[in-house]
Amino acid sequence: MKQTFWATSLVASVAMAGISPAIAQETYKIGVSAGLTGYAATVDRAWRDGVELAAAAVNAKGGVMGRKIQVIVEDNRSEPQEAVTVYRKMLSSDKVDVFVSGCVSAGNFAAAGLLLRAKVPMMLCSILPQQAEHLPWAFTTLPPAGFEVEKRLEYLKEKTQIRKIAVLHDPTPYANLQKGVAERNAAKFGIEVVSVDQYKQDDADLSVQISKARAAGAGAILKIGLGGTTLTAAKNIKQLGADMLLLTSLEDLAVFGPVSEVLGDKFFFVASPSQVYEALPEGGLKTGIKAFLDPWREKFKDRDPNWASRGWDGVMLTVAAIEKAKSLEGEKVRDAYETLSGFQGTTGVYNFRPDLHQGITENPFVLATIAAGKVKVVQ
Amino acid sequence: MSSAVAARTEASAAAPGSARPILAATGLSARYGHVEALHGVDIRIGEGELVAVLGPNGAGKSTLLRAIMGLSANSGEVAFRGELLPRSDAVAVATRGIVLVPEGRGLFPPMSVADNLELGAYRLRDKAEFNRRRERVLTLFPRLKERLGQAAGSMSGGEQQMLALGRALMAGPKLLLLDEPSLGLAPRVTGEILETLGLLNREGLAIVLVEQKAPLALELANRVYLLSLGRIVAELNPRDITSHDDLAQHYFA
Amino acid sequence: MTISPSITSPERRPIALRLAGLLPWLFAVVVVGYAMVVGGYAATVVSFALIYAVFVTGLNLFMGFAAQVSFGQNAFAAIGGYGSAVLTATYGWSPLPAMVIGIAAAVMAAAIVGFPTLRLKGHYLAMGTLAIGLITYEITVEWQSLTQGYLGISGIPPFGIGAYEVTSDRGQLVMLSLVVAACAFAAARIRRSRFGRALSAVAGSEEAATALGIDVSRYKLMAFLLSAGFAALAGSLFVHVVGYVSPEVFGLHMVIVTFTMLYVGGIGTVAGPLVGALIVSLLPETFRAFKDYQDLAYGAALILLLIYAPRGLASLFAPRGRS
Ligand SMILES: Nc1ncnc2c1ncn2[C@@H]1O[C@H](COP(=O)(O)OP(=O)(O)OP(=O)(O)O)[C@@H](O)[C@H]1O
Ligand SMILES: [Mg+2]
Repeated sequence: MKQTFWATSLVASVAMAGISPAIAQETYKIGVSAGLTGYAATVDRAWRDGVELAAAAVNAKGGVMGRKIQVIVEDNRSEPQEAVTVYRKMLSSDKVDVFVSGCVSAGNFAAAGLLLRAKVPMMLCSILPQQAEHLPWAFTTLPPAGFEVEKRLEYLKEKTQIRKIAVLHDPTPYANLQKGVAERNAAKFGIEVVSVDQYKQDDADLSVQISKARAAGAGAILKIGLGGTTLTAAKNIKQLGADMLLLTSLEDLAVFGPVSEVLGDKFFFVASPSQVYEALPEGGLKTGIKAFLDPWREKFKDRDPNWASRGWDGVMLTVAAIEKAKSLEGEKVRDAYETLSGFQGTTGVYNFRPDLHQGITENPFVLATIAAGKVKVVQ
Repeated sequence: MSSAVAARTEASAAAPGSARPILAATGLSARYGHVEALHGVDIRIGEGELVAVLGPNGAGKSTLLRAIMGLSANSGEVAFRGELLPRSDAVAVATRGIVLVPEGRGLFPPMSVADNLELGAYRLRDKAEFNRRRERVLTLFPRLKERLGQAAGSMSGGEQQMLALGRALMAGPKLLLLDEPSLGLAPRVTGEILETLGLLNREGLAIVLVEQKAPLALELANRVYLLSLGRIVAELNPRDITSHDDLAQHYFA
Repeated sequence: MTISPSITSPERRPIALRLAGLLPWLFAVVVVGYAMVVGGYAATVVSFALIYAVFVTGLNLFMGFAAQVSFGQNAFAAIGGYGSAVLTATYGWSPLPAMVIGIAAAVMAAAIVGFPTLRLKGHYLAMGTLAIGLITYEITVEWQSLTQGYLGISGIPPFGIGAYEVTSDRGQLVMLSLVVAACAFAAARIRRSRFGRALSAVAGSEEAATALGIDVSRYKLMAFLLSAGFAALAGSLFVHVVGYVSPEVFGLHMVIVTFTMLYVGGIGTVAGPLVGALIVSLLPETFRAFKDYQDLAYGAALILLLIYAPRGLASLFAPRGRS
């Protein structure tokens, strides 16, 4: 019996200790719900590092409106229900002022209702929630889904004779959106989509889809989606002896070395400005990236800067909104986000509007290839 | 012991196997996967008879009982009171009143004695009849009465065997199939249990008793089948077996 | 309290032990009460725990009471959850009828799958159920016209009585507590019933149960259908409480978490699922401050629990254990 009571009281007190509210401090709190573990880990860890780097840079200059920024990161394990829990935790225990959250879109969607009720805005890595009533409180640093696709179509139209292409995509929402754009907009570039196929992120062979694309007469494959499948696709194309170009999505540069070894000059990828910094012309964009890239390289050497740079933008946009609103209040900051325009970030220029919460309006991407081990911009 | 002996003499007054059969199996075979463990066995059990099935380890004694119940994959015909039993439908067989106490007793160890007994009468819906049977079982085995709330698994081997038998009786059997009730029990307890079996048999319950301990079975049985390598090798009257050697001869014939 | 803990013959047990049997329930009441008072984050964690408790109560019927194994209960939660989500968010139904249809669909799916597989034994059944879980997950991802794939379905309305919608933390906690209490009460009744004893017999020995005239595969199927119903109820509760659903919610992750809850709480007991769901939901939150060591601390806590309460926390309070 003694043991029993001991166990009960221990369990109860441990359980209670974990959920007692934290003490509020005089800082401006940015909450980050990120998939530090699970499928989004690579992207979201980079996002978080970008956010923390930006906060440190802002604090070094004295913070925002006299307050130091405090970044609170919680791991949502790339799961929506975990995301709801951590959003809730940051809202009610940490009393977070704003969210600059990662790329787990399902998690951000699931929590959107909470933010609406708490009147706390979020600046996201992922696509925006689908629910109309959630939209006013959500903003994103993500360029529109069409940009990555259009850059590739543009290249094919202007620099090649290829007029028939195949689309290969994974089932994630962002990939699905891009697929839709490809289907709708290819004709504008005089290009016909002759086959569309889906694969899964853990597929170990894509030769069926690639054979199908070749049989349909496709001269190039637009691959939409992240991860090891890009290398798989490259190998399959080579094994099948298919004479096709492979044009892949934005991705960690580290992935592309091996792919380029397989396909050589038949391989192209979409790159964000920060990934091709050295090749950029002097100007506002290059300066904007430099502000981020210097401390980034100092801390993380040649780690890919792409997602981190948007995390950086997320914080800087927030700081700009606060300064514009002259207020730290959620509702005022939200209103100010909507008026930020001409904001030079690391991924391009952000032009938010009340009816446009996806701020990047001009295509910032380039198409690149790897020649002699060096990244080369081709479009 | 003495009453068990008495039981034998009394019951064996009837001519062996002459009674109207309560159960008749013809050409009963059983397989485990592709291996046949029982090869076309014919047996008959008379109404009110106590028939022993003897045989060495692995002879197929347990398989025979399981085949009668329809538990193992089997072929052949089994008639119960003149009616063919469905094969491989043990629930239907149990419903007709054939109750098996399997090798190792098949109790539900975490459940209490009372719950085990209650499960014996699972198909019985009549409360009064239930109480009557329970009263009877607790009279036959007073030791169970003292342990109604105890988990079956925490009882001694002998008590567990009593419970297994008691649970079978709760089902209101017309034919009781017992697989080695003496397994792992001290002679004294074995005697007690066999004595109860004799009593039940004298009241008219037909019993098939599988045993390793031949002398004990011979004392009770009206008739004996010898099983070896999945076949009936002999059908004997216990009175004709006068010594151990006699039996051994049959075993190895 | 009308709910009786995992005791089958309470009449002969001393009062102290009977009171000890109430401790798991007292623990649950204290935790839920605390969440109700504090609200916020605690309320969210405890709400999810209560939803899991419904799921695990069903899992316990099948795995604890009938001693079968299913790795695919998440499939039924998905059917219940998506049934509710699609019917309310896409077709404008109100939550209650949507939930009923979702549960009915899940039970039907369980019947279709269970009828052939429950005749199988041991690892075949386990493999079969694992397949159901994986297939359902794939369907929720691929059938985009209905489920919107990974994008998920938003705008699922909360439960309500008439015009009153349960949106506040406290309202939801009260509603979920009532549902969990009803589920635990049902589990306790089932366990004491003829059906429950038959399940225990099946759990003890299928052959012995058959020989007693218990139709083993029928009872296994009934337990399976019931557990599917509980899973679907949990799935539906989840989507109405959160207002959003996507495939990951009902992924393999759910199988792992609910198995942990079942074993930590005490498989085969009545209070176990609730206690397990609360503990397993609260523990990681407790260790959240450990940051990168959160999983390590959680893992260590689980191991300690399994060492000191190998048959689950609830069984600490029921000296005879499963009875
Ligand atoms: N489940 C099983 N799978 C495969 N073979 C089996 C199985 N059960 C029994 N056998 C085989 O069938 C034969 C008959 O076994 P059975 O158990 O009927 O013998 P028995 O006469 O009851 O022996 P014992 O006196 O040792 O209990 C044996 O050769 C045994 O190996
Ligand atoms: Mg045997």
